[in-house]
This record gives sequence, structure tokens and C-alpha cells, in this order.
Amino acid sequence: MQVFTSIIVVSIFAGIFIATDIKDYKTRKANSVASIAHIISANSITPLLFQDNNEAKKILTELKNTSPDIVNAVIIDSAAKIFAIYSRVDAGPLEISHFLNGKTTEFSGKQLFVSENIMNEKQLMGKVLLEVDLSELEAIKKSRYEMAVILLLAAAVLSFLIASIVQRYISRRLLYLVDKMKQVSVTGNYNTTIVDNGKDEIGTLIRVYNNLMEQVRESQHKKDEFIGIASHELKTPLTSIKGYLDLLNTMEERQPNKQFVQKASDSVTKLERLIKDLLDVSKIQSGQLQLNIKEFNIDELINETINSFQMVSESHTIVKEDGLHYEQVLADRQRIEQVLINLLSNAIKYSPGENKVLVKSKRDGDHLLIQVRDYGIGIAKDELSEIFERFYRTKDSSVHISGFGLGLYICRDIITRHGGTIWATKEPKGSSFYFTLPIQQNSVTNPSSNNSNN
Amino acid sequence: MLKRISFIVLLFCLAGSSAVAQTTEQEADLKAVFLYNFTKYIDWEPSTENDFIIGIIGNAAIEKPISEIAKTNTVNNKNIVIRHFNNPEEIGACNILFIPYGTTYPISSILDKAGHGVLTVSEKPGMGNQGTAFNFVIKENKLKFEANLKAISDAGLKASSQLLKLAIIINN
Repeated sequence: MQVFTSIIVVSIFAGIFIATDIKDYKTRKANSVASIAHIISANSITPLLFQDNNEAKKILTELKNTSPDIVNAVIIDSAAKIFAIYSRVDAGPLEISHFLNGKTTEFSGKQLFVSENIMNEKQLMGKVLLEVDLSELEAIKKSRYEMAVILLLAAAVLSFLIASIVQRYISRRLLYLVDKMKQVSVTGNYNTTIVDNGKDEIGTLIRVYNNLMEQVRESQHKKDEFIGIASHELKTPLTSIKGYLDLLNTMEERQPNKQFVQKASDSVTKLERLIKDLLDVSKIQSGQLQLNIKEFNIDELINETINSFQMVSESHTIVKEDGLHYEQVLADRQRIEQVLINLLSNAIKYSPGENKVLVKSKRDGDHLLIQVRDYGIGIAKDELSEIFERFYRTKDSSVHISGFGLGLYICRDIITRHGGTIWATKEPKGSSFYFTLPIQQNSVTNPSSNNSNN
Repeated sequence: MLKRISFIVLLFCLAGSSAVAQTTEQEADLKAVFLYNFTKYIDWEPSTENDFIIGIIGNAAIEKPISEIAKTNTVNNKNIVIRHFNNPEEIGACNILFIPYGTTYPISSILDKAGHGVLTVSEKPGMGNQGTAFNFVIKENKLKFEANLKAISDAGLKASSQLLKLAIIINN
């Protein structure tokens, strides 16, 4: 755009300049030839008076030396007959008509025609007629045009260079900003500030952006703080309630009282779990989640977990397909157990009316692969990665699912800290959840005190 | 009238550029014009006379045309008067003395009488050498004139170089 503009501007100015130049040249040329005509005219009076054609011709022939660009020079008498004539060697035929149209100076084609009256005491004795060859002008025009083209090219190149430099300078900063913003939106990490010392509009934009991010951070921080506080506060009275209910449970033998207490107790347990999840999330967000790494037998853990689940699950049978027996992992046993419980509980929750949940485990190279499969409502393809986000609950409204939607988020955090991966796939009926655990011992991560990641 | 002169000049221009031999009348007309034009190129001595006098000794074809010119033209704002002299003894004050072709008087006697400040003009080949200031001659069918520089300066006159450029110079 800039290049186009500057080419147009340069063209216009070059055009004006050249036109003026040529006009000036023409004026000067006409003036100088008119001067010559005047001198010849003055010197022609006497020859005309005494009809000395030779003398007149002598005057004209001088032009051969003094004005090589004069093609034809004629003195005509008062009867418009040629009195004397000089023609340059290469001269074409003379057109007297040019001189009799009354104009003293005429640019016609590639020639300039100048005429002057020869006056003697107010009497017209004849005329001097000069025909000038303008090839010099043609040469000048040509060189001017060439220069204009060169200038135009130079202008185009220069403006292109300048435009790209300026643009890069502006774009670079803008693209940097855009890049950072993309990063933030993907990672959800609002902690970065962009440094830009520009004093212009872009600098202002970036400053405002940083302020905005500051606000977001603030609000995030407050929210996390709140979750932490809230879950902690909620937990305390809940523990008290649970305690008394348990006590009541052992004390009460009558029905339906016992049933009532049992139901209350169940609800409290559920509530407890929800709050615990909230607390975990808060810890994860503030980077306080710590892993307690120990070596243990994964197969044992799976068996244990299935057994304890089976005890409380009346509707479903958890089937374990054999794969691992003796593998030891270096991990946080409690957290891995949490993952398994979460996956199993989800499997059951999301397959009401079904009766089977499958658990498979096998070794796959340098890590273990564990699969939990259900035959329930399944997960839509476009939700398969979304479900691991915080507070995500399925859009499928056919089933009412309780919970905050935090379980998988926490699972993902735990697994990734162990250096593994967790994902879900859609089965013909139901879904499968997989997670891996590396068997190498270097891949387990613990957060450092000032590291915040999700 | 200027128009008249222009007409005459036009006539003679046509005549001058053609190769046809001139008639005596045409020639005389042209000489008259030349004679008149000479006066513009000569530095005349200051004269107490009120008129500019052209004297003609004897009969000359030029008398008629120069009289016509004299009617309507002036020299240095002085009226032109044509005087006819029959013989050298009659020569009086004049500015130009015209000596016709057919003159029989010896040239020396005429020149003696002419005296200071008089421009002598003749029209016979060889007269220039004999001492007239200007002498009309025909060269290649064109009317030309000889100029005798000594004669001019002896007469106390000065001729413009512009005029002399066109003349056939005699220097003795």
C-alpha cells in the first residue's frame, strides 16, 4: 500500500518536474532563437534596401557555425518572395506556410519556427524566418524520462524497504502480544506480563493488557483463596457431623432409625468427598499439592480398590482382566488409589442400568497402561478432551449426574505429575479411560514452592 | 506616401529577382530609390540650407523618379529639392551632385565645382576610378554601386560601413 502510494506520488512529481523542465527549455530556446532572428533582421535592412541578396545570404550562412540547430533560415521580402536562404546540409523541404500564419513562435512537431518582421522606419520590408531542429530537446526528454523511471524504481524499492522495516517493527510487537495472549488462553496461566517500552499506541495497548492480566490474576487468586477457605471451613463442621452420626450408627439398633442414620451418614460421606475434591483443586491451583512417593505393587492396589468398591456397589460387577502381577511402581499410593476410585466411580455413575465395569492392566514398554471400561451412556467425541477441565460436567442431559465435575481434573493433575498421561476414548457402548504410569523413577514430579502450573 | 514607395520597392524587388534584363526606366527608378537610400547612410555636414538639395548636371533619366521621391520624403527632416544644372558653371550649393551617363563635360571640372560636403554620384563604368564618390554599375544583371573611399573622405563625408559592405570598394 505504501509502495503504491509512493510510486504515485513520485510519478506525479516527476511528471510535473519534467513538464516544467521541458517548458522552460522551450521558452529559453524560443527566446534565444528570437534574439538571433532579431539580429539578422537588423542586419538585413540594408541588404534589403539595396537588394543585395548575396550580402543577406552571407549573414544567414553564418548560422552554420553559430547555430547548428537551425535547419532553415530565410529572409523574405515584402512580397513574401525568398530574398535569401540558408539550409543545413540535412535539411528537409522548407514549409513557408508555417511562417505566414501570424505566429512569431510556433512549436510544431519536432521543429520550432520563429519569425520576425524586418522593419525600417515603420515600414515592413520583409521577414526573417528561422526553423530550428529540436532534436536536442528530444534528447533531453529521453534522458529525463529515463531518470524518472530510475527514480520511480528507486522510490518503489526504498518505500518497500521502509514499509517492511516499519511494519516489522509494529507487527513484531503486535504479533508478540498476540502470541502471549494465545499462550495465556491456552495455558490459563495469567502470571506473565509483557514487556514493551514503546511510547506509542502499541505501548499503551500492552500496558492496559498487563493491567487487565493483573486484575485477572487478582480475581483468580481470590477465587482460589476462597475455595481453600470455604472447603476448609466446610470440612470442620462436617467432620463433627460425621463423628456424631457414626456414633449414632453404632448406638442405634432400631429400625427405621438405623436406616435414617445410615442414609444421613452416606450423604455426609458424599459431601465429604466433594469438599475434599474442592480442597484438592485449591491445592493444585496454589501449587501446594504434594506427592508422597513410595514404591508399591500396583496390582495389589488395583485388587484392593476393586474389592472395596465391590463391597458398596450393588448394581455393578467389576471385572478385572489380568495383566500385571509383580510390577512395582514408584508413586504416591494414596493418589493413584484416588484416581482409580474416581475412574471406577465414574464408570458406575455413567452406566446406570448396566451391570459391568471392566478393569485391564498391562505393561507397555517402559510404562504401565491401566484401563477402566464402562458400558454406559458414553461420551460425545468433541467432549473427550473437555471432560478433564475444571468444573466440566457432561452436556448430555439424559442423565442427572451429581458432583462438581472436578474428579477428572484432579486425576489428570495427579497422573501428569507422575509423568504419565490420562485420556478417554469412545467405545461402541460406553467409554474407556486409560492412564499410564512410567516405571522409570525419574519421571515423578513434585512442585517446588514457587512453581504454579496446572 | 509610404505606400507609394512600398509599391515601387515591391516592383523593383520583383524586377531585381528576375533574370530579365532591366529597361532604362526601371533602372532609373531603382537608381533613384538607391540614391534616396544613400542619404540615410551618409554623415552629412551641418548645413545652413533649409533644404536637402540634389543637383543633377545635364539630362538624366533619374530626374523624374527622384523628383517623385522628393515630393513625399525627407532627409533629416529637410525637404528634398531637385536642382538642374546645365553646365559645370551653374553648379551651386547641393548635398548630392548626380552626374548622368551621357555627360560630356570633363569629370575633373565637375568635381572641382562640386567642392566640399557634396556627394558625387555617377552611373558610368570607370567613373568611380575617376573620382566620383559613388558610381552605379550593373553586375550580373543586378544594380550595384562602386564606392570611392578617398573621394568620400575628400568630400569631408563619412559613409556607414553597412552601406560600404554592399559596395564595390575603390581605394585610390
